Amino acid sequence: MNLPKLKIGNLVAKLPVIQGGMGIGVSLSKLSSAVANEGGIGIISGAQTGFREKNFRTDNNRANVNGIIKEIKKARNLSPNGILGINILKASNNYFELVKTAVKEKIDLIISGAGLPIKLPSFVKNTKTKIVPIISSGRAAKLITKVWKKRYDYLPDAIVVEGKKAGGHLGFKKKDLDNNSIKPLKEIVKDVINVINPFEQKHNQKIPIIAAGGIYTGEDIKDFLEIGASGVQMATRFVAAEECDADIEFKKAYINATKEDICFIESPVGMPGRVIKNHFVEKYTNNNLDSVDSCYKCLKRCNPKTALFCITDALIKAVNGDTENGLIFIGENGYRVNKISTVKEIFEDIKKSFDLKKEKLNSLI
Amino acid sequence: MDKKILETVKELTAEQLGIEVDEVNEKSSFIDDLGADSLDTMELVLALEDEFGIEISDEETEKLKTVADAVKYIEDNK
Ligand SMILES: Cc1cc2nc3c(=O)[nH]c(=O)nc-3n(C[C@H](O)[C@H](O)[C@H](O)COP(=O)(O)O)c2cc1C
Repeated sequence: MNLPKLKIGNLVAKLPVIQGGMGIGVSLSKLSSAVANEGGIGIISGAQTGFREKNFRTDNNRANVNGIIKEIKKARNLSPNGILGINILKASNNYFELVKTAVKEKIDLIISGAGLPIKLPSFVKNTKTKIVPIISSGRAAKLITKVWKKRYDYLPDAIVVEGKKAGGHLGFKKKDLDNNSIKPLKEIVKDVINVINPFEQKHNQKIPIIAAGGIYTGEDIKDFLEIGASGVQMATRFVAAEECDADIEFKKAYINATKEDICFIESPVGMPGRVIKNHFVEKYTNNNLDSVDSCYKCLKRCNPKTALFCITDALIKAVNGDTENGLIFIGENGYRVNKISTVKEIFEDIKKSFDLKKEKLNSLI
Repeated sequence: MDKKILETVKELTAEQLGIEVDEVNEKSSFIDDLGADSLDTMELVLALEDEFGIEISDEETEKLKTVADAVKYIEDNK
């Protein structure tokens, strides 16, 4: 088997790899277009995309709408024929406006997590934009599929199943992560396939299942294809890509991080997040952070009076290179990143290890 | 409080959480007393929306902590 194509409706990616959206500002037009040009699916982060706009503080909503328009246009210029998507957090305060903007810009797909995007189908009906929810359990997959079908007569164009090894915010409770009571991603993927299969049969429509969280090599990809996934979403592996939109210091923080440097914090979003230990995380652990004095009103759940820190400011500091005073999201496998390489080189390495696994299997037979 | 609405909310709650209707009363908190998690809450809200032909936004969902909160919301918005 060679690396198969990934079909999402009429979209056909040469490689079954989606580059996961990384906010704030880590995956924008440069990284996403580079991935799309290599045959994968590139995802722009729709989290506070306007962070470089002049009116970002004063008119956050407008700035983000403009940011999204600019990044989609730039990415499209850099990859006229590639497949490009955007990741928009369901927890964003202006969620629907961001979604509408991306659809208007003719984005190929919208991937949406941090909450169940129940109303998403109403924004893409009669457009070419595909919609893909991110979920972390068979139950959630079944719920969203059932509701979309019932209310909008729409089935998810694909489903991303994110497990506990992922970077950024995780859809699990901190205490379950701490006492290791969460199923391995493979089990969750199998659960999702089992609950989705009846919908596929009944409506005669394929719903590709995409595995995410801790996938690093071609061998990993092979493992998930073998249990019935149609593709994978990978993020951490692409951070130290030359084309990644983050500052070089952010990439170096990944290269320098050891296994022990990776830990969890409770984010003001109300979800745990996996991060690199640094000065900021130390201050957080010691309850020594300055109080939050201004607010973008970016997240539905966040209350500036009780939040321990402003997640937007912390993430922007990091992506701009202040890696001690900012917050650096990372996946569990982040310590394996050890050099800067191009997106092309990363894909070549992935293909090589996929083939290697093939040879290993053949020699067993 | 509208008895009929109360009964329907209790029934839907029991059905969603897989418990007996007797275990649910006006004062029951979905999360603290009945053990609902975020997906249960979501499913229950969707069931209430369908049953009563109303719409419950995410912000409002967060405020519906008890059976009585839900009944009141339905009375006000039906
Ligand atoms: C730096 C960073 C930022 C991320 N930001 C987001 C985000 O804004 N929204 C989101 O849905 N997922 C986000 N993720 C999750 C990724 O899209 C992806 O699903 C996950 O990290 C996959 O696991 P991997 O990093 O082990 O490949 C982020 C991940 C990283 C590493």
